[in-house]
Amino acid sequence: MSAAATETVTPLEPPSGSLLHRVAWHWRHNPKRELWFAWWSMVVFYQVFGLVFFVLTRTQPPPKPWWEVPRVVQWFNDNHHGLLIGFGIMFLVTGMTAPCNALIAYSMRRMSVSRSFAYSYLLLYSLSAIPGMLLMCIALTVGAMRPDRDPELISWLYDFAFLSFVGTMGVFLIGSLVWMVAILIDKNRVFPKWFAYLNLCNALTEVVVSPAWIFKSGVFAWDGVIAWWINMVVFVVYTGVFIYLLRGMILREDFGSGPLPDLAPNEEPDPSGLARAAQ
Amino acid sequence: MRRADGELILLWTLPALGIIWISAFFLFPGFIQPMSPTMSAEEVAAFYRDPANLSRIRYSMILFNWFCVGLVPILTLIVMQIRRMAHRTPILSYCMLGCATGGPTLFLIANLFWLLAAFRPERDPELIQMFNDLAWVTFTSQVPYLIAQSVILALAIYLDRQSRPVFKPWVAHFNLLVAAALAPAAFIGLALGGPMAWDGLFPFWVKNIAIALWIIVMGIVLGQAIQRQRVEEGVAA
Repeated sequence: MSAAATETVTPLEPPSGSLLHRVAWHWRHNPKRELWFAWWSMVVFYQVFGLVFFVLTRTQPPPKPWWEVPRVVQWFNDNHHGLLIGFGIMFLVTGMTAPCNALIAYSMRRMSVSRSFAYSYLLLYSLSAIPGMLLMCIALTVGAMRPDRDPELISWLYDFAFLSFVGTMGVFLIGSLVWMVAILIDKNRVFPKWFAYLNLCNALTEVVVSPAWIFKSGVFAWDGVIAWWINMVVFVVYTGVFIYLLRGMILREDFGSGPLPDLAPNEEPDPSGLARAAQ
Repeated sequence: MRRADGELILLWTLPALGIIWISAFFLFPGFIQPMSPTMSAEEVAAFYRDPANLSRIRYSMILFNWFCVGLVPILTLIVMQIRRMAHRTPILSYCMLGCATGGPTLFLIANLFWLLAAFRPERDPELIQMFNDLAWVTFTSQVPYLIAQSVILALAIYLDRQSRPVFKPWVAHFNLLVAAALAPAAFIGLALGGPMAWDGLFPFWVKNIAIALWIIVMGIVLGQAIQRQRVEEGVAA
């Protein structure tokens, strides 16, 4: 760690000029570049995720669980290219969830709590992408790649896809609760306490989606008001809020181990403060 | 015993693992000349029902089931090297840890589908074909963690700014090249024939050769890094 420490003692001038120039400056001089890399990965990942699931593949809002087999086959035919291209993009970028989870784990490491919180979250969420998303992408890719497959099997792939996506609950449930407890007992003021309760809301949505395994229509089905709409609204709000709060955490980061200092109102990171923090 | 000695023991599992993987690869009759996605359901079923193939499919996949996760200890050695780099936060080693089980777990899922298809080959050919499709699509398209692993490692090396960096910069360039070579495999759903199909040039040959090359190169540079660490620890002790 010695080289990083000495290098940032050099005076930091505020970056100006073109975007490329600013990025290059941060790459060379910003002591928080690793944190910003993870944060920007998070922003880009959720944009791509939204674009692929809502626009390209039309898998969100989800098609109906009560459709007859011919309608399901027609859905695959209507979305053939969107599914195959969209999930190809997901297979390319899903690894960006690793920096997202790493940054959230880091937020817990910055707290006054045991490391086991950060590690549990990291493990739970590293596990989550496979049942929570990739299995669906695989099943729908297999479903779309052979339109002439036996319709009954296409229907089975459809159920497999949407149930694995909606019905993978535990990893997110326990993961959110771990983050919640860490925030509640933290003394370093990394996050406001109200955000802990937003974690609880997110955890509760994982409870209310469980009837999707039982109901084929109505509010509890995988496209229903409770199992999908409420769930998605809470998830979007939760994600937007934590992206914003993590940005605040990085701006406030002083690389110490005590309470995280506040930013003065309207103050962007003060270069001299950064240099001091780096020493 | 120095800490690096234990790491060397883990690293020396790599040649053994390599031999097992290569044997399993050649034992599986669907790899040497990769099965084509254009095969009809009856042809796929006949492939699994052929007594000459069936036992080879089962034995090779049982071997992979045991040993496909064998790379995890090697990946954790990379995590340990990232921790030695001149970084300010543990973020990049956390990223690497997050990726470490992704690749092997996804391969394990493909492995399950192959074994399922081979368990009752007398099943309806349409079902055999579906399990075979699930296996091949999972095996071929599931590159997300391998790509992320290479990109993150490259980034970690570029940010390792010290007079004697843990890995030389060419290792980072090499990792970016490997990530690029893996990318086309993500799009195999789009073509059942040609160079972009799951048995084609890019998703099969380029991707698998890139993975093999990555394992060999990383094995060597890891060995050198651990060796150097061992000498430094010896001096310090």
